[in-house]
Amino acid sequence: MLESLSLDGKSVVITGGGTGLGRAMVRDMARAGANMVIAGRRTAPIEEAAAEAISLGVDATFVATDVTDSSQVANLMKTCLDRFGKIDVLLNNAGAVSDNVRKPIWEHTDEEWDRIMRVNLTGAFYCAREVSQTMVAQEHGKIINVASGFGLRGGREIYMYCCSKGGMIQLSRVLSFNLARFGITANTIVPGFVPTGATDTMAASLPRGGEFLPTGKLGKPEDFGPLAVFLASPASDYMTGEMFIADGGGLAAGIYPTGHAPVIPLED
Amino acid sequence: MPVLPEYDLTGKTAILATSGGTVAPFLGQALAEAGASVFAIARTQALLDAVLKSLPQGSSGAVMDAGVADSAKKAMDEFDRTHDKVDILVNDPRSMFAKPLEDIGVDEWDAVQTRNAKAPFLLSQQVLPRMAKAEYGRVVNMISEMAERGMINGSAFAASQAAVLALTRSLAVEWSRFNIRINAIGTGLIDTEGQSLEKQQEELLVRYTPLRRKGNPGDIGPLLVYLCSEFCDYSTGQPVYIDGGLNAHP
Repeated sequence: MLESLSLDGKSVVITGGGTGLGRAMVRDMARAGANMVIAGRRTAPIEEAAAEAISLGVDATFVATDVTDSSQVANLMKTCLDRFGKIDVLLNNAGAVSDNVRKPIWEHTDEEWDRIMRVNLTGAFYCAREVSQTMVAQEHGKIINVASGFGLRGGREIYMYCCSKGGMIQLSRVLSFNLARFGITANTIVPGFVPTGATDTMAASLPRGGEFLPTGKLGKPEDFGPLAVFLASPASDYMTGEMFIADGGGLAAGIYPTGHAPVIPLED
Repeated sequence: MPVLPEYDLTGKTAILATSGGTVAPFLGQALAEAGASVFAIARTQALLDAVLKSLPQGSSGAVMDAGVADSAKKAMDEFDRTHDKVDILVNDPRSMFAKPLEDIGVDEWDAVQTRNAKAPFLLSQQVLPRMAKAEYGRVVNMISEMAERGMINGSAFAASQAAVLALTRSLAVEWSRFNIRINAIGTGLIDTEGQSLEKQQEELLVRYTPLRRKGNPGDIGPLLVYLCSEFCDYSTGQPVYIDGGLNAHP
């Protein structure tokens, strides 16, 4: 029953596929046999990611895409249909991390709020909307949204990121409920802290080494490859509207009580 | 068909413990197919025989009634005769029960909690220190999605499932420093008899499930194997629901 974990012959569109978690997901989905269209704002990283996928034996291409522009999103999906004739999987991984400065609510401008919500949530909605009728016509499809533990809990002075990522979790639920009858599933990957490079200001503000997490270590982009393959593959066909959380145990306990280990005898 | 080697469990030793239902043999089959050697623990001899039938020849097991003193220790003594390490523990404590509140006997309440909540607690108590010593372990607790949602007549069973979910969260946090990961798989309806879609959809709850079918063992096995694998390292203390969309449903 494990052959269903293969992505042989599947065609996948992934946004934010050039760096960080997206890049690790591209690598493992290619190893599992998926053909891919890789999107990202900057050309160089997605070009490299596509070359790596091709070197692993699948077909891949890249499309520089700003997901907040629905005409660019339409062009991205058209590229996949022209090349592969179908879209089996949409992986909405694009999101802004570097611009998520922490600050009090009264210092947020209208423009900042709108921009982060557009990049982190509206872009995923545009992508899902664009593939929806294709997937309905195919009578199958998988939409995977990448959120964050901050989509489930409040973060100190983190307004835009928390709200947009909470929106991603709800986007999956609403999509799952309404598209189930067409054979389409929608799920959410919920990563905890995963440093992904020098631009990651959020990780830079955290203690090094992940000692504040129950597992005692931070996540790596590579932790998300096999997870993405599972959610993209037929092995997860009965899973929809759900979250797959990978956060070093942060949400199970909260990150601050770690080290709090009381011993209290039974009351009389 | 390229299946990533990350999902391979070759060389791993698993304990699979069940308190009831018809799914456990398929869980054993999935673990064995991934290459793990599986030791079965079951509440009754009949359940044990059913699991052993799904495992490769020569597999062994033990009966464990969590209501009897030292039952988990005795099952592990049996395990120790043929094994020298344990990498994986899968608890399948989903012995079903449903009755209106006023009809539930205290003995029935106790039996449901003993089978479903106490059994995984006792086995965790036996197995986690061993895993900690080896600084490696993966635990998966199978639960019903009724851990999260209510059902008329479901109080006793739902409470037992929520207990296992809470056990999953706290033990994950308590033991994660030893490279042990503890997660849960939340299930909805599962058909193990190969019922036709028409037959399945005669049931109200199947028509209410967004994907309009029951799950089958093939829907659960690959997720179980992934959660039992070395490469599932950053998830712990979490349930993953694979239930046809029931939990996301209004």
